[in-house]
Amino acid sequence: MSKATFKGGAHPYEGKSLSENAEISLLDLPGEYVFPMSQHIGAPAKPCVNVGDNVLAGQKIGEAQGFISADVISSVSGTVKKIEPRMQTGGQPQMSVVVESDGRFETVPGVGEERSAADLSKEEIRDLVKAAGITGMGGAGFPTYVKLMPKDDEAIDYFIANGSECEPYLTSDYRLMMEEGEKIIGGLKICLKLFPNAKGIIAIEDNKPKAIEHMTKLCAGEKRIEVKALKTKYPEGGERQLINAVTGRYINSSLLPADAGAIVDNVATLIAIYDAVVLNTPLMQKVITVTGDAVKNPSNVKVRIGSSYKDILQAVGGLKTEARKLICGGPMMGQALFDLNVPVTKPSSALCAFAHDEVEENPTTPCIRCARCVDACPEFLVPPMMVRAATHGDLEGFEALNGMECMECGTCSYVCPARRPLTQIFKQARKMVMNKRRTEAAEKRQRDELERIAKEAGEAAKKAALEELYEASKKATAKALK
Amino acid sequence: MNNIEFTLENPHVSSSPHARTEVTTRRLMTDVCIAMLPALAWGVYHFGLYSLYVTVATVAACVLSEYVFEYFMGKPITVKDMSAVVTGMILALNMPPEIPIWIPVLGGIFAIIVVKQLYGGLGQNFMNPALAARCFLLISFAKKMTDFSVESMPWATVTPDGVSGATPLALIKAGGEVDLTALLVGNIPGTIGEVSVIALLIGAAYLLWRKVITLRIPLSYILTVLVFTALFGGRGFDVYYLLCEICAGGLIFGAFFMATDYVTGPLTPNGQIVYGVVLGILTGLFRLFGGSAEGVSYAIILGNVLCPLIEKYTVPTAFGKGKYLKSKAKSAESKLNKMVVVKTFIITLVSGVLLGGAYVITKEPIAEANRAALYAAYEELVPGAAEYKDMTENKELSDAVADTNNTLTQSGVYGDVTVNNLVTAVDESGNIMGYIADVTDHEGYGGDIEITVGYIADESGELKNTGISFLSIAETAGLGMNAQNPEFKDQFTGKPAMADGSPAVLSVTKSGSAGENEINAMSGATITSDAVTNAVNAANMAVSAVEGGNE
Repeated sequence: MSKATFKGGAHPYEGKSLSENAEISLLDLPGEYVFPMSQHIGAPAKPCVNVGDNVLAGQKIGEAQGFISADVISSVSGTVKKIEPRMQTGGQPQMSVVVESDGRFETVPGVGEERSAADLSKEEIRDLVKAAGITGMGGAGFPTYVKLMPKDDEAIDYFIANGSECEPYLTSDYRLMMEEGEKIIGGLKICLKLFPNAKGIIAIEDNKPKAIEHMTKLCAGEKRIEVKALKTKYPEGGERQLINAVTGRYINSSLLPADAGAIVDNVATLIAIYDAVVLNTPLMQKVITVTGDAVKNPSNVKVRIGSSYKDILQAVGGLKTEARKLICGGPMMGQALFDLNVPVTKPSSALCAFAHDEVEENPTTPCIRCARCVDACPEFLVPPMMVRAATHGDLEGFEALNGMECMECGTCSYVCPARRPLTQIFKQARKMVMNKRRTEAAEKRQRDELERIAKEAGEAAKKAALEELYEASKKATAKALK
Repeated sequence: MNNIEFTLENPHVSSSPHARTEVTTRRLMTDVCIAMLPALAWGVYHFGLYSLYVTVATVAACVLSEYVFEYFMGKPITVKDMSAVVTGMILALNMPPEIPIWIPVLGGIFAIIVVKQLYGGLGQNFMNPALAARCFLLISFAKKMTDFSVESMPWATVTPDGVSGATPLALIKAGGEVDLTALLVGNIPGTIGEVSVIALLIGAAYLLWRKVITLRIPLSYILTVLVFTALFGGRGFDVYYLLCEICAGGLIFGAFFMATDYVTGPLTPNGQIVYGVVLGILTGLFRLFGGSAEGVSYAIILGNVLCPLIEKYTVPTAFGKGKYLKSKAKSAESKLNKMVVVKTFIITLVSGVLLGGAYVITKEPIAEANRAALYAAYEELVPGAAEYKDMTENKELSDAVADTNNTLTQSGVYGDVTVNNLVTAVDESGNIMGYIADVTDHEGYGGDIEITVGYIADESGELKNTGISFLSIAETAGLGMNAQNPEFKDQFTGKPAMADGSPAVLSVTKSGSAGENEINAMSGATITSDAVTNAVNAANMAVSAVEGGNE
């Protein structure tokens, strides 16, 4: 039987052998920790501590704002040094709480106290997940408690644990499956408790046979959980592609996975859920892979959120040769860094350092219309047509070609024999469309407001005129009566 | 903190993804070149080393013109991407084996400079450069481009009737039979690269294995030709005949190497299938109903032009949009693909039936009209006959025509001229009233001139020319076309068919005062004058052959 998969995609060099056998090591670094208030999709959190306050590990330092948002939890004990904009992986500064660690990693009381998930109600579970500040650990950082609150719990028939780890070079999810598989299954069981009709699927790409074997062994007695091997192909772990591969269902960008009866959570997220619910431990640590051909000791390290990449790299042994390219994340969707002094956040997954930059070494040449990007696009788009629309500023045309369905996975740029920066062009065009939509919405709001004011003013004037008339007639009547 | 030294002098920043596949434009183009090598090797083995010279010269012309153009236009030099080599090879493999080398070289320059570079270089040309160049050469040097005879090559295997250099398709079209094995191996006349189906398929398999091409275009193309030929080829599902149609005429070469050209084909998967079907229909139309037996090159060029339209209407449904929604999505997807195939097939069928129907309906009336025109000409030349009997009904006449044509080709006295038909005009009692000869001179200024010449015996029993009438003439207006004016054509009236027992010979004079056996040339149109006069001389010869035999 052919392995489950989706249509399209590519198979970049995996590079996982560098770090796949490096066991997760714990790294508690001293010094300064930076907690950006926006580590998730949605409204940024609001700092709820002041400069000079003493905080403990596990203490809330940022308050979620609005429905789609997440709390920010301090991962260390120490003193709040500053609350100021700090540089992020994306290159823009962002409001952050800076905590100087006291090196003791003292936790708030109660953290680590075990409890039984069986005694908890659905609401209690969701509240615990929310309070733990958990967001998707796979990359996008969608607040997990929102995911766990679909319109109808009964309608969910698949809960997918995403262990596909399709991004090249990354091995943190693989190590977690090998070393903390029990927690993944524990987390999955907690989630299945929320959705009575759901089947738990642990989806793993077939380039990790040991993980498939290990997880299959672990869930041997579980009736509602099974392991599904997927074909190794990028972007197998993309939420929509994964749902398609596992269930055969399709969703587009305006639908939620729950609309197709499925919920997807990364295996690391499930561990965080387990920690939060059973061990009463909020999200404070994160396993990241430090790898690449320029790294001396490729490794998987469990670090505290807020640590700087620079410190992590130094702690694992640094570089063995000059790195031409530094990437936060994997080579397909990660962000290139020009400065390593940026903090690890909840969705962070890796630090890659490469001695060569393939982008720089492959200059762009003319498009030969080979249509390899069309065949590879996992969203069934036609990149060359979208490029034509985008580069001519035709945003309507770009939208008509379903440009907003693009998930910026980078497959088109990867397969392009002419090395066109397709994904980059789409990122820009998508930003422009989103800005346009925002501007239009704002303009509409403004117009509506003005109309309302004008209407009210008109009504007031009418009322005043009537009043006047009434007064006048009253006077006239009084006069007549006199 | 330990003292690991950081060497982060100059990290490079760019947008993701940061990885690139090893497949480059250059590698794809090189693969196409490699895939054409078996066909080239067979061409060289089969036609001789000269084919290799042609190929090398064409490739060199393409690469050099690309280099020179880019150098002088101050553009980056891109000859290393191998695309000019591909163009050169395709063009060369489309050349007749004994073509004078300057022709493909000219074609290569045209392909690169006019078709490719003037439109903006690689990726911007809207037509396949090699094919556009081939068609340019076909139009400019029609004779040399369609002369597939090779001096040292006896084509006995495919041409039992000895028509040297006729391609298998031309043979099939003319009602002949071809040997399928010879077609597969490539033991046939044709262009350098198109003859061996086996060699081409080896190359195609390589391209598929290297994932340079997909089967969408070639397969839909070939299948459509198959269906079209089966429907309208007039031989039904005669497997042998259908296989011959597919293996012949460069279809395999065109389908795998030319129709799959990236730049000029559609991007969308369904568009590629539609494109293949369109090419198949066009090829079938050109082959079965067109003037020439070959149609692949013109079909692909036309398909190139249709490509933007095809693309526009075949943009795929995005993942999760429309028909893909929710659980039934997977079957919807395959249904969609099937629907496109079914729809295009129906369109093909309907348009094919319409075209075929139009052909069948108009075929008889057109033939009828042609016959009527012919009879009107006969009637004008030998009036009052009860019946006109031509050589298909009379062996004596056909022998005379064959003898005359033999003499004409062997002696060559009247140049390239053919007697097409000889007709006797018979009265009610069966007596021969006169003769009409139908002659074509191939050496007119504008190509063939076809005339009919009438003869009636006078009182002395001597056959005299009753006039000539033109069936087809395409000379220069105001000059050669004046042949139809009475001043010129009436000069022939009254001239005897024979003199002293042998065919009378007329000659053209420019003196303006024609003698007994002379015809005054039209001013400025000596070639036409000569051609018509030669045709009349040939007619005299044919008539004499019958009349002489009668005596």
